[in-house]
Amino acid sequence: MICSIVPPYMLRKLAAQDEPRLRAVARAAKESLLHIRSLQAARALAAPATPPGIRQAKPGPPKRTIYDAGTSEKLPGKLVRNEGEAATGDAGADEAYEGLGSTHRLYAEVFGRNSIDGAGLPLDATVHFGRLYDNAFWDGRQMVFGDGDGQIFQRFTKSLTVIGHELAHGVTQHTAGLVYRNQAGALNESMSDVFGVLAEQFLKQQSAEQASWLIGESLFTEQVQGAALRSLKAPGTAYDDDVLGKDPQPDSMDGYVRTSADNGGVHINSGIPNRAFYLVASALGGRAWEAPGRSGTGHLQVAPCRPPARSAASPRRRRPPPRSFSAPDPQSMTPS
Amino acid sequence: MKITVRRSGGLAALTQIWTVEAVTIDDKRRWMPIVEACPWDNADARSAANQPDRFMYAIRAGQRRATLPEKAVTGPWQVLVENAKTEGQESRRR
Repeated sequence: MICSIVPPYMLRKLAAQDEPRLRAVARAAKESLLHIRSLQAARALAAPATPPGIRQAKPGPPKRTIYDAGTSEKLPGKLVRNEGEAATGDAGADEAYEGLGSTHRLYAEVFGRNSIDGAGLPLDATVHFGRLYDNAFWDGRQMVFGDGDGQIFQRFTKSLTVIGHELAHGVTQHTAGLVYRNQAGALNESMSDVFGVLAEQFLKQQSAEQASWLIGESLFTEQVQGAALRSLKAPGTAYDDDVLGKDPQPDSMDGYVRTSADNGGVHINSGIPNRAFYLVASALGGRAWEAPGRSGTGHLQVAPCRPPARSAASPRRRRPPPRSFSAPDPQSMTPS
Repeated sequence: MKITVRRSGGLAALTQIWTVEAVTIDDKRRWMPIVEACPWDNADARSAANQPDRFMYAIRAGQRRATLPEKAVTGPWQVLVENAKTEGQESRRR
Protein backbone atom coordinates (compact mmCIF):
# COMPACT_ATOMS: atom_id res chain seq x y z
CA MET A 1 0.00 0.00 0.00
CA ILE A 2 1.48 3.33 -1.02
CA CYS A 3 0.40 6.65 0.41
CA SER A 4 2.92 9.05 -1.12
CA ILE A 5 1.41 11.95 -2.99
CA VAL A 6 3.67 11.32 -6.00
CA PRO A 7 3.10 7.80 -7.33
CA PRO A 8 6.09 5.51 -7.92
CA TYR A 9 5.54 5.27 -11.68
CA MET A 10 5.89 9.02 -11.90
CA LEU A 11 8.96 8.94 -9.68
CA ARG A 12 10.48 6.18 -11.84
CA LYS A 13 9.94 8.31 -14.92
CA LEU A 14 11.54 11.30 -13.25
CA ALA A 15 14.39 9.18 -11.86
CA ALA A 16 15.19 7.93 -15.36
CA GLN A 17 15.83 11.44 -16.67
CA ASP A 18 19.48 11.77 -17.68
CA GLU A 19 19.49 15.26 -19.12
CA PRO A 20 21.80 17.58 -17.18
CA ARG A 21 19.04 20.10 -16.54
CA LEU A 22 16.92 17.42 -14.83
CA ARG A 23 19.64 15.93 -12.65
CA ALA A 24 18.26 17.46 -9.47
CA VAL A 25 14.80 16.11 -10.25
CA ALA A 26 16.14 12.65 -11.02
CA ARG A 27 18.19 12.56 -7.83
CA ALA A 28 15.22 13.62 -5.70
CA ALA A 29 13.01 11.04 -7.40
CA LYS A 30 15.55 8.26 -6.73
CA GLU A 31 15.72 9.23 -3.06
CA SER A 32 11.95 9.22 -2.87
CA LEU A 33 11.74 5.78 -4.48
CA LEU A 34 14.18 4.43 -1.90
CA HIS A 35 12.08 5.97 0.85
CA ILE A 36 8.91 4.48 -0.58
CA ARG A 37 10.49 1.01 -0.62
CA SER A 38 11.31 1.35 3.07
CA LEU A 39 7.77 2.50 3.76
CA GLN A 40 6.37 -0.40 1.80
CA ALA A 41 8.39 -2.82 3.90
CA ALA A 42 7.09 -1.18 7.06
CA ARG A 43 3.55 -1.35 5.81
CA ALA A 44 3.59 -4.99 4.81
CA LEU A 45 0.31 -5.57 6.57
CA ALA A 46 -2.83 -6.78 4.91
CA ALA A 47 -4.67 -3.83 3.38
CA PRO A 48 -8.34 -3.43 4.28
CA ALA A 49 -10.75 -4.03 1.44
CA THR A 50 -11.56 -0.96 -0.62
CA PRO A 51 -14.97 0.27 0.50
CA PRO A 52 -17.76 -0.25 -2.01
CA GLY A 53 -19.04 2.69 -3.95
CA ILE A 54 -15.74 4.52 -4.25
CA ARG A 55 -15.72 4.35 -8.03
CA GLN A 56 -18.85 5.07 -9.97
CA ALA A 57 -19.10 4.43 -13.68
CA LYS A 58 -21.67 7.14 -14.19
CA PRO A 59 -21.58 10.06 -11.80
CA GLY A 60 -24.97 11.66 -11.36
CA PRO A 61 -25.79 15.36 -11.34
CA PRO A 62 -25.14 17.35 -8.16
CA LYS A 63 -27.78 17.58 -5.46
CA ARG A 64 -27.03 20.93 -3.89
CA THR A 65 -28.83 22.50 -0.96
CA ILE A 66 -27.77 25.85 0.44
CA TYR A 67 -28.78 26.98 3.92
CA ASP A 68 -28.47 30.36 5.64
CA ALA A 69 -27.48 30.36 9.31
CA GLY A 70 -28.35 34.07 9.61
CA THR A 71 -25.21 34.74 11.70
CA SER A 72 -26.19 32.06 14.21
CA GLU A 73 -24.04 28.98 14.81
CA LYS A 74 -26.90 26.54 14.41
CA LEU A 75 -26.68 24.09 11.52
CA PRO A 76 -27.92 23.69 8.92
CA GLY A 77 -30.02 26.91 9.11
CA LYS A 78 -32.82 28.09 6.84
CA LEU A 79 -33.03 26.48 3.40
CA VAL A 80 -32.50 29.17 0.74
CA ARG A 81 -31.69 27.32 -2.49
CA ASN A 82 -32.32 23.82 -3.73
CA GLU A 83 -30.84 22.11 -6.77
CA GLY A 84 -32.08 23.68 -9.99
CA GLU A 85 -33.66 26.73 -8.37
CA ALA A 86 -32.94 30.27 -9.50
CA ALA A 87 -30.26 32.41 -7.90
CA THR A 88 -31.25 33.89 -4.56
CA GLY A 89 -29.57 37.23 -5.03
CA ASP A 90 -27.53 36.60 -1.89
CA ALA A 91 -23.89 36.59 -2.97
CA GLY A 92 -22.73 34.07 -0.38
CA ALA A 93 -25.52 31.60 -1.07
CA ASP A 94 -25.11 31.82 -4.84
CA GLU A 95 -21.31 31.58 -4.70
CA ALA A 96 -21.63 28.44 -2.58
CA TYR A 97 -24.14 26.93 -5.01
CA GLU A 98 -22.00 27.67 -8.07
CA GLY A 99 -18.78 26.64 -6.33
CA LEU A 100 -20.19 23.29 -5.28
CA GLY A 101 -21.37 22.75 -8.84
CA SER A 102 -17.95 23.54 -10.29
CA THR A 103 -16.22 21.21 -7.84
CA HIS A 104 -18.74 18.44 -8.47
CA ARG A 105 -18.05 18.77 -12.21
CA LEU A 106 -14.30 18.33 -11.64
CA TYR A 107 -14.84 15.09 -9.74
CA ALA A 108 -17.49 13.80 -12.12
CA GLU A 109 -16.01 14.72 -15.49
CA VAL A 110 -12.31 14.29 -14.76
CA PHE A 111 -12.18 11.62 -12.08
CA GLY A 112 -15.47 9.80 -12.72
CA ARG A 113 -16.41 10.23 -9.09
CA ASN A 114 -20.03 10.55 -8.02
CA SER A 115 -19.93 13.32 -5.40
CA ILE A 116 -18.14 13.28 -2.04
CA ASP A 117 -18.73 9.66 -1.13
CA GLY A 118 -18.70 8.22 -4.63
CA ALA A 119 -22.36 7.37 -4.23
CA GLY A 120 -24.05 10.68 -5.00
CA LEU A 121 -24.01 12.23 -1.53
CA PRO A 122 -26.03 15.48 -1.53
CA LEU A 123 -23.88 18.59 -1.28
CA ASP A 124 -25.11 20.66 1.65
CA ALA A 125 -23.61 23.99 2.60
CA THR A 126 -24.46 26.66 5.14
CA VAL A 127 -23.50 30.28 4.57
CA HIS A 128 -23.55 33.29 6.93
CA PHE A 129 -22.43 31.05 9.80
CA GLY A 130 -21.68 32.92 13.02
CA ARG A 131 -21.11 36.57 13.65
CA LEU A 132 -18.04 37.98 11.88
CA TYR A 133 -16.89 34.36 11.65
CA ASP A 134 -13.39 34.15 10.16
CA ASN A 135 -13.49 30.62 8.88
CA ALA A 136 -14.94 27.87 6.72
CA PHE A 137 -14.99 24.18 7.61
CA TRP A 138 -16.28 20.68 6.89
CA ASP A 139 -18.19 19.26 9.87
CA GLY A 140 -18.24 15.68 8.65
CA ARG A 141 -21.57 16.07 6.85
CA GLN A 142 -21.63 19.48 5.21
CA MET A 143 -19.64 22.58 4.35
CA VAL A 144 -19.92 25.72 6.47
CA PHE A 145 -18.86 29.23 5.49
CA GLY A 146 -18.46 32.36 7.60
CA ASP A 147 -18.77 35.94 6.37
CA GLY A 148 -15.39 37.10 7.68
CA ASP A 149 -14.84 40.09 9.95
CA GLY A 150 -14.67 42.66 7.14
CA GLN A 151 -11.32 43.93 8.42
CA ILE A 152 -9.05 41.05 7.50
CA PHE A 153 -11.33 38.53 5.83
CA GLN A 154 -14.20 38.85 3.43
CA ARG A 155 -16.80 36.12 3.05
CA PHE A 156 -15.26 32.69 2.58
CA THR A 157 -17.40 31.76 -0.41
CA LYS A 158 -15.59 34.36 -2.54
CA SER A 159 -12.91 31.87 -3.53
CA LEU A 160 -13.72 28.68 -5.42
CA THR A 161 -10.49 27.21 -4.06
CA VAL A 162 -11.93 27.41 -0.54
CA ILE A 163 -15.17 25.70 -1.58
CA GLY A 164 -13.17 23.02 -3.40
CA HIS A 165 -10.93 22.69 -0.34
CA GLU A 166 -13.85 22.05 2.01
CA LEU A 167 -15.53 19.58 -0.32
CA ALA A 168 -12.25 17.69 -0.65
CA HIS A 169 -12.20 17.16 3.11
CA GLY A 170 -15.38 15.19 2.61
CA VAL A 171 -13.76 13.12 -0.13
CA THR A 172 -10.77 12.38 2.10
CA GLN A 173 -13.12 11.40 4.92
CA HIS A 174 -14.85 8.90 2.65
CA THR A 175 -11.63 7.52 1.12
CA ALA A 176 -8.17 7.65 2.70
CA GLY A 177 -9.53 8.76 6.07
CA LEU A 178 -6.34 10.62 6.90
CA VAL A 179 -6.25 11.44 10.61
CA TYR A 180 -6.51 15.18 11.17
CA ARG A 181 -3.31 15.60 13.18
CA ASN A 182 0.43 16.00 12.60
CA GLN A 183 1.82 14.62 9.31
CA ALA A 184 -1.32 12.71 8.37
CA GLY A 185 -3.30 15.89 9.01
CA ALA A 186 -0.91 17.91 6.86
CA LEU A 187 -1.48 15.43 4.03
CA ASN A 188 -5.22 15.72 4.60
CA GLU A 189 -4.91 19.51 4.32
CA SER A 190 -2.69 19.25 1.28
CA MET A 191 -5.19 17.03 -0.52
CA SER A 192 -7.82 19.70 0.09
CA ASP A 193 -5.53 22.46 -1.16
CA VAL A 194 -4.63 20.46 -4.26
CA PHE A 195 -8.24 19.72 -5.20
CA GLY A 196 -9.17 23.29 -4.28
CA VAL A 197 -6.77 24.72 -6.86
CA LEU A 198 -7.70 22.01 -9.38
CA ALA A 199 -11.37 23.00 -9.12
CA GLU A 200 -10.43 26.56 -10.04
CA GLN A 201 -8.01 25.55 -12.80
CA PHE A 202 -10.60 23.20 -14.30
CA LEU A 203 -13.28 25.91 -14.28
CA LYS A 204 -10.93 28.43 -15.91
CA GLN A 205 -9.34 25.76 -18.13
CA GLN A 206 -5.92 26.97 -17.03
CA SER A 207 -2.68 25.13 -17.60
CA ALA A 208 -0.21 24.60 -14.76
CA GLU A 209 1.78 27.52 -16.13
CA GLN A 210 -1.20 29.86 -16.28
CA ALA A 211 -2.61 29.07 -12.85
CA SER A 212 -1.99 31.15 -9.73
CA TRP A 213 -1.69 28.09 -7.44
CA LEU A 214 -3.14 30.23 -4.65
CA ILE A 215 -5.64 29.13 -2.01
CA GLY A 216 -8.09 31.79 -0.91
CA GLU A 217 -7.23 34.50 -3.39
CA SER A 218 -9.60 37.49 -2.84
CA LEU A 219 -10.42 36.47 0.73
CA PHE A 220 -8.28 39.18 2.29
CA THR A 221 -9.57 42.74 2.43
CA GLU A 222 -7.55 45.52 0.83
CA GLN A 223 -6.09 46.34 4.23
CA VAL A 224 -4.04 43.14 4.26
CA GLN A 225 -0.66 42.86 2.59
CA GLY A 226 -1.11 39.51 0.95
CA ALA A 227 -2.33 37.71 -2.13
CA ALA A 228 -3.99 34.71 -0.49
CA LEU A 229 -3.94 32.26 2.44
CA ARG A 230 -1.45 29.86 0.88
CA SER A 231 0.59 29.32 -2.24
CA LEU A 232 1.26 25.82 -3.57
CA LYS A 233 3.81 27.24 -5.96
CA ALA A 234 5.78 29.10 -3.32
CA PRO A 235 4.75 28.13 0.22
CA GLY A 236 5.66 30.82 2.73
CA THR A 237 5.06 33.73 0.36
CA ALA A 238 1.28 34.13 0.28
CA TYR A 239 1.25 37.10 2.65
CA ASP A 240 3.52 39.27 4.75
CA ASP A 241 1.48 41.65 6.83
CA ASP A 242 2.07 43.88 9.85
CA VAL A 243 -0.88 42.38 11.71
CA LEU A 244 -0.91 38.80 10.45
CA GLY A 245 2.82 38.30 10.23
CA LYS A 246 4.41 36.27 7.47
CA ASP A 247 3.02 33.15 5.84
CA PRO A 248 4.65 30.37 7.94
CA GLN A 249 4.42 27.48 5.48
CA PRO A 250 7.62 25.50 4.79
CA ASP A 251 8.26 24.18 1.28
CA SER A 252 10.41 21.19 2.25
CA MET A 253 10.99 18.81 5.17
CA ASP A 254 13.97 20.94 6.15
CA GLY A 255 11.47 23.49 7.41
CA TYR A 256 9.02 21.03 9.01
CA VAL A 257 7.31 22.74 11.94
CA ARG A 258 6.69 20.84 15.16
CA THR A 259 3.89 22.48 17.10
CA SER A 260 0.98 21.60 19.31
CA ALA A 261 -1.15 24.35 17.76
CA ASP A 262 -3.35 23.83 14.71
CA ASN A 263 -3.73 20.09 15.35
CA GLY A 264 0.01 19.68 15.02
CA GLY A 265 0.53 22.27 12.30
CA VAL A 266 -1.72 20.70 9.69
CA HIS A 267 -2.20 24.00 7.83
CA ILE A 268 1.49 24.82 8.12
CA ASN A 269 3.26 21.63 7.05
CA SER A 270 0.79 21.07 4.22
CA GLY A 271 3.09 23.44 2.35
CA ILE A 272 5.54 20.56 1.88
CA PRO A 273 3.29 18.16 -0.11
CA ASN A 274 1.63 21.19 -1.73
CA ARG A 275 4.96 22.24 -3.17
CA ALA A 276 5.68 18.66 -4.24
CA PHE A 277 2.41 18.52 -6.18
CA TYR A 278 3.15 21.84 -7.83
CA LEU A 279 6.63 20.68 -8.86
CA VAL A 280 5.25 17.51 -10.43
CA ALA A 281 2.47 19.41 -12.21
CA SER A 282 4.82 22.07 -13.52
CA ALA A 283 7.40 19.47 -14.61
CA LEU A 284 4.77 17.56 -16.55
CA GLY A 285 3.22 20.75 -17.88
CA GLY A 286 -0.24 21.13 -19.36
CA ARG A 287 -3.37 20.62 -17.29
CA ALA A 288 -2.71 19.71 -13.69
CA TRP A 289 -6.05 17.94 -13.24
CA GLU A 290 -5.01 15.34 -15.78
CA ALA A 291 -2.04 13.10 -14.82
CA PRO A 292 -1.07 14.70 -11.47
CA GLY A 293 -4.67 15.21 -10.32
CA ARG A 294 -5.69 11.68 -11.27
CA SER A 295 -2.77 10.27 -9.32
CA GLY A 296 -4.01 12.25 -6.32
CA THR A 297 -7.48 10.75 -6.44
CA GLY A 298 -5.93 7.33 -6.95
CA HIS A 299 -4.09 7.63 -3.67
CA LEU A 300 -7.14 8.90 -1.83
CA GLN A 301 -8.97 5.81 -3.01
CA VAL A 302 -6.46 3.52 -1.34
CA ALA A 303 -8.36 3.37 1.91
CA PRO A 304 -7.66 3.70 4.67
CA CYS A 305 -4.11 5.03 4.52
CA ARG A 306 -1.94 4.30 7.52
CA PRO A 307 -0.36 7.61 8.50
CA PRO A 308 3.42 7.50 8.62
CA ALA A 309 3.51 9.71 11.68
CA ARG A 310 2.14 9.24 15.17
CA SER A 311 -1.51 10.11 15.19
CA ALA A 312 -4.71 9.48 17.06
CA ALA A 313 -5.00 6.23 15.13
CA SER A 314 -1.52 4.91 15.72
CA PRO A 315 0.29 4.10 18.96
CA ARG A 316 2.67 6.58 20.52
CA ARG A 317 6.27 5.67 19.72
CA ARG A 318 9.59 7.28 19.08
CA ARG A 319 10.37 7.97 15.46
CA PRO A 320 13.52 9.09 13.70
CA PRO A 321 13.76 12.75 12.73
CA PRO A 322 12.16 13.67 9.40
CA ARG A 323 14.17 12.93 6.30
CA SER A 324 15.87 15.89 4.80
CA PHE A 325 14.52 16.58 1.36
CA SER A 326 15.25 19.71 -0.57
CA ALA A 327 12.83 20.32 -3.37
CA PRO A 328 14.56 20.89 -6.69
CA ASP A 329 14.61 24.34 -8.14
CA PRO A 330 11.58 24.64 -10.43
CA GLN A 331 13.63 26.78 -12.77
CA SER A 332 15.64 23.69 -13.61
CA MET A 333 12.50 21.68 -14.35
CA THR A 334 10.96 21.70 -17.76
CA PRO A 335 8.38 19.39 -19.26
CA SER A 336 9.98 16.29 -20.69
CA MET B 1 -4.63 35.02 38.08
CA LYS B 2 -3.70 35.09 34.42
CA ILE B 3 -6.18 33.69 31.91
CA THR B 4 -5.09 32.98 28.36
CA VAL B 5 -7.19 31.77 25.45
CA ARG B 6 -5.19 30.82 22.37
CA ARG B 7 -7.15 30.05 19.22
CA SER B 8 -5.19 28.29 16.48
CA GLY B 9 -6.04 26.48 13.29
CA GLY B 10 -8.96 27.37 11.09
CA LEU B 11 -8.69 27.43 7.32
CA ALA B 12 -6.28 30.37 7.53
CA ALA B 13 -4.28 28.96 10.47
CA LEU B 14 -3.91 32.35 12.11
CA THR B 15 -3.31 32.20 15.86
CA GLN B 16 -5.10 34.71 18.06
CA ILE B 17 -4.51 35.10 21.78
CA TRP B 18 -6.68 36.82 24.38
CA THR B 19 -5.12 37.48 27.78
CA VAL B 20 -6.85 38.57 30.98
CA GLU B 21 -4.99 39.57 34.13
CA ALA B 22 -7.38 39.19 37.05
CA VAL B 23 -5.39 41.10 39.63
CA THR B 24 -7.79 42.99 41.87
CA ILE B 25 -10.06 41.33 44.38
CA ASP B 26 -13.06 42.37 42.34
CA ASP B 27 -11.52 40.83 39.19
CA LYS B 28 -10.80 37.56 40.97
CA ARG B 29 -14.26 37.52 42.53
CA ARG B 30 -15.79 37.84 39.08
CA TRP B 31 -13.48 35.47 37.18
CA MET B 32 -13.09 32.66 39.71
CA PRO B 33 -16.68 31.33 39.33
CA ILE B 34 -16.30 31.44 35.53
CA VAL B 35 -13.04 29.47 35.74
CA GLU B 36 -14.29 27.08 38.43
CA ALA B 37 -17.39 26.24 36.40
CA CYS B 38 -15.29 24.63 33.64
CA PRO B 39 -14.71 20.85 33.74
CA TRP B 40 -10.91 21.06 33.59
CA ASP B 41 -10.34 17.44 34.59
CA ASN B 42 -12.46 16.15 31.71
CA ALA B 43 -10.94 18.34 29.00
CA ASP B 44 -8.85 16.26 26.67
CA ALA B 45 -8.56 17.24 23.03
CA ARG B 46 -7.24 13.81 22.08
CA SER B 47 -10.56 12.24 22.95
CA ALA B 48 -12.46 14.70 20.78
CA ALA B 49 -11.10 14.71 17.24
CA ASN B 50 -11.36 18.05 15.57
CA GLN B 51 -13.31 18.66 12.39
CA PRO B 52 -11.27 19.77 9.38
CA ASP B 53 -10.49 23.47 9.39
CA ARG B 54 -12.16 24.18 12.70
CA PHE B 55 -10.40 26.18 15.39
CA MET B 56 -8.48 24.66 18.28
CA TYR B 57 -8.54 26.36 21.69
CA ALA B 58 -5.72 26.14 24.24
CA ILE B 59 -6.98 27.64 27.51
CA ARG B 60 -5.01 28.44 30.64
CA ALA B 61 -6.21 29.86 33.94
CA GLY B 62 -3.56 29.98 36.62
CA GLN B 63 -2.12 26.45 36.80
CA ARG B 64 -4.98 24.86 34.92
CA ARG B 65 -4.77 23.99 31.26
CA ALA B 66 -7.12 22.55 28.68
CA THR B 67 -7.04 22.06 24.94
CA LEU B 68 -10.38 21.84 23.20
CA PRO B 69 -11.62 21.58 19.64
CA GLU B 70 -14.02 24.36 18.69
CA LYS B 71 -17.06 22.10 18.78
CA ALA B 72 -16.32 21.31 22.44
CA VAL B 73 -16.31 24.98 23.44
CA THR B 74 -19.83 24.97 24.82
CA GLY B 75 -21.49 25.67 28.15
CA PRO B 76 -19.04 27.00 30.79
CA TRP B 77 -16.14 26.80 28.33
CA GLN B 78 -18.01 29.06 25.94
CA VAL B 79 -18.71 31.53 28.77
CA LEU B 80 -15.02 31.59 29.67
CA VAL B 81 -13.85 31.98 26.07
CA GLU B 82 -16.40 34.66 25.16
CA ASN B 83 -15.59 36.67 28.29
CA ALA B 84 -11.87 36.43 27.55
CA LYS B 85 -12.46 37.55 23.96
CA THR B 86 -14.53 40.49 25.13
CA GLU B 87 -12.35 41.67 27.97
CA GLY B 88 -8.91 40.26 27.24
CA GLN B 89 -6.02 41.93 25.49
CA GLU B 90 -5.85 40.59 21.96
CA SER B 91 -2.70 39.65 20.11
CA ARG B 92 -1.67 37.53 17.17
CA ARG B 93 1.20 35.15 16.98
CA ARG B 94 2.58 32.96 14.22
